[in-house]
Amino acid sequence: MKALAIAASNLRRFARERSNVFFVLILPMLLILVLGSVFGRGFEPRVGLVAPGTGDPTSALVEGLEAHEGFAVHRHDDRDTVVRAVERGELEAGLILPPEFDDAIPAGDAVEIDFIARPGQDSLSLRRTIGALLAEQMALPRIAAFVAREGDVPYEQALAQATAVTGQTAGVKVATAVAGEAFIGRRNWGQFDLGAQQQLMLFMFLTSLAGSAALVQTRRLGIARRMFATPTTVRTILLGEGLGRFGVALVQGVYIVLGTMVIFGVRWGDPLSAILIVLAFGLVGSGAAMLMGALFSNDQQAVPVGVFLGLGTAALGGCMMPLYVMELFAPTVWTVAHLMPHAWALDAFEILALRDGGLGDVLPFLGILLGYAAAFYLLAIWRLRAVLTR
Amino acid sequence: MRSALVIAAKDLRQRARDRSVYVFAIAAPLGLAAIFGFVFNPISDADFTATFAVANVDQGPLAAPLVDGVLGGLADGGNVNLVHATSAEEAARLVEGDGERADQDVDAAIIIPAGFSARVQTGRPTELRVVQNANASLASTLALAIVQEYARQLDYVQGAVTTVVSSDPARLADAAAIAQRAGATPRPVSVRDVSATIKQLDNTTFYAAGLAAFFLFFTVQFGVNSLLEERHAGTLNRLLAAPLPRWSIILGKAITAFGLGLVSMLILIVGTSFILGADWGNPAGVALLVVAATASAIGVMAMVSALARTSEQGEVFSSIAAVGLGIIGGTFFPINQAGGVLASLRYVTPHAWFLQGLGDLAGGSIGDIVPAVAALLAFTAVTSGIALALLRRRLNP
Repeated sequence: MKALAIAASNLRRFARERSNVFFVLILPMLLILVLGSVFGRGFEPRVGLVAPGTGDPTSALVEGLEAHEGFAVHRHDDRDTVVRAVERGELEAGLILPPEFDDAIPAGDAVEIDFIARPGQDSLSLRRTIGALLAEQMALPRIAAFVAREGDVPYEQALAQATAVTGQTAGVKVATAVAGEAFIGRRNWGQFDLGAQQQLMLFMFLTSLAGSAALVQTRRLGIARRMFATPTTVRTILLGEGLGRFGVALVQGVYIVLGTMVIFGVRWGDPLSAILIVLAFGLVGSGAAMLMGALFSNDQQAVPVGVFLGLGTAALGGCMMPLYVMELFAPTVWTVAHLMPHAWALDAFEILALRDGGLGDVLPFLGILLGYAAAFYLLAIWRLRAVLTR
Repeated sequence: MRSALVIAAKDLRQRARDRSVYVFAIAAPLGLAAIFGFVFNPISDADFTATFAVANVDQGPLAAPLVDGVLGGLADGGNVNLVHATSAEEAARLVEGDGERADQDVDAAIIIPAGFSARVQTGRPTELRVVQNANASLASTLALAIVQEYARQLDYVQGAVTTVVSSDPARLADAAAIAQRAGATPRPVSVRDVSATIKQLDNTTFYAAGLAAFFLFFTVQFGVNSLLEERHAGTLNRLLAAPLPRWSIILGKAITAFGLGLVSMLILIVGTSFILGADWGNPAGVALLVVAATASAIGVMAMVSALARTSEQGEVFSSIAAVGLGIIGGTFFPINQAGGVLASLRYVTPHAWFLQGLGDLAGGSIGDIVPAVAALLAFTAVTSGIALALLRRRLNP
């Protein structure tokens, strides 16, 4: 059928474009890898530690800090490195132990640790966590120092007494419980899952838009005119071009879904629903590409504008800042995000991949996506009928 | 020299007519910076506040220092909001919220059960409870840390009294006084808060600078790739046949690229400063960094272009290089937060040095940008050298 032939020639042109090897195949995987590595594991504050001493007090404290699960410890040799790293945002805070630490503690002397952080409240939680850790670690030395002074006994003796006694006291326990279900869910949210979903939408849309230049070229180079001169209806030509754009979007989408499944073990949820969403979003992307191809008369301009629109709509639509973060902190942004088709597709995948939803759960989202696609296609066809041969 | 300027002027006039330059050089970075700012700023600017529900069922003398002293102090300082609950269940309910998602408003509940003070004073086991909101990890961690520190403080006093009395039982009568003295004794290890300057661009400026750097490489490519385009169009042979020194052709192209880059950066700096409120910093420092960055961009793109054989291939290589370096260089997201290999890898790109220079300038003085400028000039020298070596062969057929 002629429309398929037109579509096939579009896909061949797409395949022959050398740069696509990088932009369509390599770049998405690269981005998913980087995003997953940087953001996929949740945010763990990094604390720089300078601990020159080699004695027991230092070792005990360092061990306690490193064992704590609330932050990651990075050892450094000098204060200036740590300060500079904190200033640049490469570390959330720095802890500097003085060289006399190991001597002061057994002697019962007071010593000061520097906690370096940037101004603002972000480090408050970290600061108090370290304070609590110190309180626990230094409990015995503190008791020993007090007892030594009170009873006028040597520090070592006081420490021995304290150790023997505190093993027997009940102490105040702190019981914790967690309420509510985390947005990320207690289920396995893979390290790369969110990044894969976001990049799927971003690239399907971006590749479609950037590829709209092909349609502009088809018009400008006179290919469309020559097709029109054959006994082919406008309807067939438009269908063929539409299928061509759809094919490009699908190639990008299917590649990312399968590729991430294989390389990163990403889960996409119920297969049928996932396929339908990819198809629907492919229609949205290709519809937008058709519209761009209809509106532009200069294919040199179409590419940068396509890139700009592709990146801009993706950023707004939740492909960079996750939707659940928007919902928590910036509801206005979340609302604006849902003006973009990307957000609806991402919501659908959250239901499928995270909450084990099924076809029934994502039908509304499919409907919305098809609505976007219909709007784009109708506008494009209306415009193309006029300008196809121009 | 004059012929170089004529060539440059011709190229610039050609470019001015091509609207795609305006998109790449101005509209795209400006537009994307505005969009990124809109999306990211509300989230990263969100000040850290914590809301705790406090149920002081005990109301005893050992609950007050925690509730009024520690928590009250934080509340007065504006870091924490306190909601008082009359019972443990009410406090827990406030955290759990209604339905499947925990109410965003309360980050943690702190519960001091009935009889707490009495039990501590008589040495019986007891507990403090913290209910954490699953979605408020930073704030609920704060609550936990505060309560833990307080519990350890009580443990210390208890331990101190018990130790003293165990070696001298007669002093049991003195227990209250001992406890008081123990509480007043300073800690062996105290923490001194040191404030560091912020050598980092604020978010708006980061996106503006990152996107400007990213698109700079596309902008200068217009000038750089024109050499290959002329070859393709046949005009290069005519230039070579003309009584011009060879180097003036290359210099002309370089001037074009430099002019395009500088003008676009200037427009972006002014645009983002006025429209988005970006704060680029000390103008002299910014100017130095921009000139060095533009030079390095020309060098890099010239080298990439010189490796290509046709104008089309040149465009492909150039766009891959520009995108790849831009991403690795951390222009889209602060890759220095990744740590490890990725964070170190970014120093291979001029983008990272440009951004770091701006960051150091933000928190310091113009002298702090010397390493960045030096690195950028080194990039320029090395890449230009390679490019010239390759081009010489092309221009001497």
